Amino acid sequence: MDPDFDLESLVHVEQTFYEAGYADGHAHGRIHGLIEGRALGREKGFEMWEELGFYEGFARTWGAILVKTGKADDRANQHIRHLLELIAQFPRVNPSSTSASAASSSSSSTSPKEEEKDLDISKLQRQIRSRYKALCSSLGVRPRLLSAEIAALDREDGSPSPQEDTGMNLDHDGGDGMGKRMAKGSVIPVWKIDNATGTRKAVTNQDLNF
Amino acid sequence: MDSPWDENSDNNVIKDTEWSRISSEFTNVGYREGITAGKEGALQEGFDSGFADTGAPIGRELGLLRGISLAILIFLQTLPVIENWKLVDEATDISSQLSRIRFSDIMPRDLEAEEHARQHLEAEGVELDENEEIAAKRDVEGIEDMLANLVAGGATSTSSSNRPTVEDIYALKTRLSWLGERLKLSFDWN
Repeated sequence: MDPDFDLESLVHVEQTFYEAGYADGHAHGRIHGLIEGRALGREKGFEMWEELGFYEGFARTWGAILVKTGKADDRANQHIRHLLELIAQFPRVNPSSTSASAASSSSSSTSPKEEEKDLDISKLQRQIRSRYKALCSSLGVRPRLLSAEIAALDREDGSPSPQEDTGMNLDHDGGDGMGKRMAKGSVIPVWKIDNATGTRKAVTNQDLNF
Repeated sequence: MDSPWDENSDNNVIKDTEWSRISSEFTNVGYREGITAGKEGALQEGFDSGFADTGAPIGRELGLLRGISLAILIFLQTLPVIENWKLVDEATDISSQLSRIRFSDIMPRDLEAEEHARQHLEAEGVELDENEEIAAKRDVEGIEDMLANLVAGGATSTSSSNRPTVEDIYALKTRLSWLGERLKLSFDWN
């Protein structure tokens, strides 16, 4: 063997190779993360806002119908007003991003902790759904059932799940301030239309083939 | 006879192969771990942008139309049939066409994802894995299409390629607003 061989430099060189590989992999992984996250976010955003948009369109149209038919002081009109107010409060941007990035500090300075915000969203959602149902019954109309609701009807016990989560936060690495919200076992919860049952699905945990 | 120098050159060959083995091994380990970290670090960012830029606005648009059309339909059904059956038919048709529309019919293409998938295909001949949950949803939609074709019989064999498009939504929206005007309902469409 070469007497001048320097073990120190070999160790260092291993580290250099590792870091070069890591940097390349990180850049590639980031592309995959963005793509897969985007696909999930699109689906979830569509699912949530299709439901809310439906309530909104339904409520606004009935509002106009009540005006036209001279029943504007009807009890239903109160439900409509409250329902529209609630929907107007619902975020169109995932609230997790406001606390994650410093760029949107305008809202995060006044907003409560993440946990409370998340709780607010599922609470808001429950309020919206029950207000919609109240509107339907005051109109004598059968409410539209969500597919997830139909599946969950027989499981419903009315008790709120302790681990309720809107699942809009995909982070599960326990990193800076995020891990505290996640369940043990590091599954990634994804927001499910029926979150009263507290069921979760791990979706992004599988490895991609590169 | 071997020259004494040869031994030295053998040694160099061994060192070279050892060197490249070590380099590729460590580079690969780094690459794998980098990919995992990079992916997990970017998932949330991707989720948020897909949610805010695409999913929420498109979902809201379709949801609004569905809510409006259903409310109009229910209202029309409370009116005397003789004068309004044409309007009821129209509202029923709009409503059922709106309910057929899926997100996969109208979502914009993710060009960056397509481009990246193409690069993988060219480099490795492998297609990218889709997210399991989304892939499962698409599978269900495919089965629904098949069943719809079976029920409809051979007459509408093209219906699988006959999915609604964004243009169909605009057309339905126009028809719906005509209905609203006809009924003299005044509300803000946005």
